[in-house]
Amino acid sequence: MNRLSYIVLVFFLLCGSSSDLYALEKCQICHSKKEIHRSEETGRKIPLYVDESIIARSVHYNKDCTDCHSDINEIPHKAVKKVNCRRCHYSGNQVGAPDGQMYDQYEHSVHGMAVLAGNEKAPVCQDCHGGHDVFSHKTIESKFYWQNIPKTCGSCHIEIYAVYKESTHGRAVADGIKDAPTCTSCHGEHDIKQHDNAESRVSDERISETCTECHGPQGVVNKYNVKTDRVETFEESFHGIGQQMGSKTVANCASCHDYHDIRGEDDPKSSVYPDNIPKTCGKKGCHPGASAEFSSGQQIHINPKSEDSGIIYYISKAFVILTVSVLLGLFAFIIMDLFRRAKNARTKR
Amino acid sequence: MSNKKTNLDKREAYIKGLSDNIIKSAVDIVKIEPTSEQINEISTEVTERLQYESSSLLNEAVTKLHPQSLSEMYPEERPERNFERFGKNFRYQHMLMFVSVIILIITGMPLKFPEFAISKFIVIDLFGGLQNSTLIHRIGAVGLIIVGVWHLGYSVASKIGRRDFFLMIPNLKDAADFMGTIKYYIGKSKSGPKFGRFSFIEKFDYWAVYWGMVIMIGSGAIMWYKEFFPKYFYDVGREMHSDEGLLATLSIVIWHFYNVHFNPEVFPMSWTWWHGQLTETEMKHHHPLEYEAIIKEESVDIIKQSENDDVEDNS
Repeated sequence: MNRLSYIVLVFFLLCGSSSDLYALEKCQICHSKKEIHRSEETGRKIPLYVDESIIARSVHYNKDCTDCHSDINEIPHKAVKKVNCRRCHYSGNQVGAPDGQMYDQYEHSVHGMAVLAGNEKAPVCQDCHGGHDVFSHKTIESKFYWQNIPKTCGSCHIEIYAVYKESTHGRAVADGIKDAPTCTSCHGEHDIKQHDNAESRVSDERISETCTECHGPQGVVNKYNVKTDRVETFEESFHGIGQQMGSKTVANCASCHDYHDIRGEDDPKSSVYPDNIPKTCGKKGCHPGASAEFSSGQQIHINPKSEDSGIIYYISKAFVILTVSVLLGLFAFIIMDLFRRAKNARTKR
Repeated sequence: MSNKKTNLDKREAYIKGLSDNIIKSAVDIVKIEPTSEQINEISTEVTERLQYESSSLLNEAVTKLHPQSLSEMYPEERPERNFERFGKNFRYQHMLMFVSVIILIITGMPLKFPEFAISKFIVIDLFGGLQNSTLIHRIGAVGLIIVGVWHLGYSVASKIGRRDFFLMIPNLKDAADFMGTIKYYIGKSKSGPKFGRFSFIEKFDYWAVYWGMVIMIGSGAIMWYKEFFPKYFYDVGREMHSDEGLLATLSIVIWHFYNVHFNPEVFPMSWTWWHGQLTETEMKHHHPLEYEAIIKEESVDIIKQSENDDVEDNS
C-alpha cells in the first residue's frame, strides 16, 4: 500500500458513509459481472453476481460490503462464511440497526432451535429477510411484504403453500385483501413454535384464541360478512368446553375447518361443505359411527341467544322464564314461611 | 320423678280430707247418725268425683299455661309413638337417587360453567380430566335411570306404592290448601290448612322430580347415543339438559334443602330419610288428616277386636 492510497483510505474512513461507494465499486469490479460464479465440487455453479441496484434500494443501502462480509480482508478472496446478522442487530448497538425481542424469540423458535441443533437447511435471518435484497416490509419487492409472505414460507414449505394458495385465506391474500391472514398471521413471525408445543399460536390449546383475533366478536371478518359468533359458539359447545377442561381429543377450529385448506361452507371442496360434513365428523378418533343424518344439513355452531337457532332459542327462552319464576316462587314461600315462624315464636313468648 | 309422686300423694291426701269434710258438714245438717255403710258409700263417690274434677281442672290449667307439657303429665300412660312415613323400599329409592344426583351435579355443573376455576379444579384435578368426569357422570346417570324404572315398578306393583301414587295426584283441595297457606303466611288466618298424607308442597316436589327425570334422562340418552340421531336432536337435548340441570340443582339446593335441612324446625337435618319415622307430634302438626285417619282406623280395629272378644267370651 502506497502512501497516497493510505491517505485516501484514512480520508474516506473519516468521512464515513462516502467510503461505501468506494468499497462497493471495488467489489463490483468482479461482482458486477453477470457470469461470475463459483463451482462446487459437485459441479453445481453458484452465481456470484451482485446487482448493485438491489443493494441501493435495500435497507442496507449505506452499508459497506465488508460490514456484513466481515471475513473478507483481501482481494481476491476465498469462499466467504455465511453472514451473521447479529454483528449489528443486537440490543444497544451503535450503528442504528433495529433491535428488539425478535432475536431472542427467533432463538427459541422452531427455526432457531433447528439451526442450533445443526440443521443446515433450517432458515436463518436471510432466508426470510433476503441477503442483498433486504427491503422494508412496506415495499412490494420485500420477501415479507404481506402478499409475498406465503411465497417466502412456501419456498421451504412447498406442499403447504400449494394447499394454502387455494384456500379462502390464500385466495383473499392474492386478491389483495389486506385483512386476510398470511402464514405469519396465525403462526407468528420470529416466535414460530412447533404446533404441538403448548406455547404455539396454533397449538390445540391456543388455536381458538388465535382464530378469535379475526373471527371473534370484534373480529375483522365482520367487514366481509363472515359471522363473528363462531368462536363464542364453539366455546359454549361441548367441544369448546372440553378444550377448556384440557382435553386433547376434542375438536378445535382446525379439526373441522382444516388447517391450511380452510374454505367457505359453500365451496364443494370445503371440509364443512354440507355434503362433506359426515366425513368430517366421522373422522377416525372423532365420531366414526356418525350417521349421515347426525351430521348433514344441520347447524353446527348453535347460538341459543340468536333467533336463527330456531327451536333451541325458544327452549332456552322458555327455560329462563320457567327457572326464574319457579325460583322466585320458592324463595317467596321460604321467606313467608320464615316470617310466619318468627311471628309464631314471638306470640308464644 | 319422686317430686311429682309426692305431689300426687299430697293431692290424694288433700282430696281425702276434703271428702271427709263434706260428709261431716252433711251429717251436721241432717242431724242423723249415718251407718258406716252409708258413710263408705258416699265417701267413695265424693272422692272419685273430686279426683276426676281436680285432674280435669289440672289438665285445663296446664293447657292454658303450656300445652306442650301435657304429654309429660302421664308419661307411663301415653308413650310417644312413631308413625312410619316411608317404608324401606321407598327409602332405598331415595338413597340411590340422592347419591346419583350428587354425582351428576358434581360432574355436570362444571360443564355448564367451564370458565370458573372451581369447575376446572373439579374436572381436571379431582377427576383427572374430562374422560373420567364424563364416565362418572354416566355412572350417575345409570343410577338415576335405575331409580326411575324402580319407582315406576314400585308405583305399579307395590300396594303402598300404588296407594301413594294415587294420593300424589293433585286435586282441588291442593288449590284450596295453597290459598290457605298463603293466607296463613300473610296473617289472614290463625292456622294453616290441614294436610293429608301429602301436602300440595310435597306433591309439587314429587312432580317436579318426575318432570326433571323425564327431561334429564330423555335428553341425556339422546346425547349419549347422539350418533344415531340427527344433530338437531342433540342440540335440542343439550339445551334442555343444560337448562333443566341448572333448574333442578337450584331447586334441590334452595327448596329441598330448606325443607329438610335449613328449616329451623329440622335444622341441621330431618332424619326421616334414614329411619322413615315421624313422631306423633310431627304427624299431628304436618299431616293431621292422615293422623286422624290412622287413629280412627285403629280405634275401629280395637272396637272390632273387643266385639270379637265379647262374642268369643259369650259363646
